[in-house]
Amino acid sequence: MNSPPPVRVYIFTWLALMALLAGTFALAHFHLGAANTAVGLAIAAAKAVLVGLFFMHLRRASALVAVFAVATIFWLAILFGLSGTDYATRQVTPAPWSAPEGH
Amino acid sequence: MSARPNLIPMDVPWRRETASLGMWIFLATEVMFFGVLFLAYTHARVGDPEGFAAASRLTHEWLGTINTAILLTSSLTMALAVRNGWAGHRTLVIKLLWTTAALGLAFIAVKGIEYALEWRDGLVPGLHFTYAGPHVHAVETFFLLYFLMTGVHAIHLSIGVALVAWLALRDRDPSRPVHRRDTAECFGLYWHFVDCIWVFLYPLIYLVELWR
Repeated sequence: MNSPPPVRVYIFTWLALMALLAGTFALAHFHLGAANTAVGLAIAAAKAVLVGLFFMHLRRASALVAVFAVATIFWLAILFGLSGTDYATRQVTPAPWSAPEGH
Repeated sequence: MSARPNLIPMDVPWRRETASLGMWIFLATEVMFFGVLFLAYTHARVGDPEGFAAASRLTHEWLGTINTAILLTSSLTMALAVRNGWAGHRTLVIKLLWTTAALGLAFIAVKGIEYALEWRDGLVPGLHFTYAGPHVHAVETFFLLYFLMTGVHAIHLSIGVALVAWLALRDRDPSRPVHRRDTAECFGLYWHFVDCIWVFLYPLIYLVELWR
């Protein structure tokens, strides 16, 4: 942890990020159905992992810092998971001021 | 030397880790803050996927893509500034910090152009919304979330630009060592976090059913 990482690590990370950006923009032009969104989010996650590991130095971080970084995703999963069970299993009763279905 | 005593001595090995850890805890709360908005987006989009696709086709995907490239590049210059501060290269660090701030401002400028185009097209819910095509309710919800999420993101980025500019000005003082690694590392973590939020906004705003 005492000597900084070589500059080429940062350059390669940036090149990979640019390649992923070009890839996600190109792939979005093809009709893949539901996979379009999945691919878009997977590439976004790949970019975030690269930024986290090499720009935010998680690769060299202590276990404690890494645990907190991963816990961030864990809390987000709770937010989406528990809210998701609610929205997926409850009957939606539109309020009088809500727009009618499909508009 | 500052008259104020350092509560944590400068030379303890865990000083920098403590700073990073504190920053990560702050970023975790920020993820929750943005997470709710992403959840709202998910809920609204699942409710009317076609409407969200129609709304996404009203955005300017080229401007969004250029802005993503600008922000990813600013993360490179920020990471290199932190890295070279670590190595003690003062003039290079200052140049890299100003480049980072300039790229941040360029992003905000492109975002401003987009907002102006959306105002012209009457896509601003509550203030100037004249869209009357199909899925009008979903399109309005999309643009409400769009302005909320990109607006909050732009505020975060503006704070980042101010922090980076402050660091660049402070690092000019030759009587001080090049910025302390913990300060620069924390600003860097914040900058990269704001970048990561945009990385997830990008496909959700600009790329929905782009093949149409």
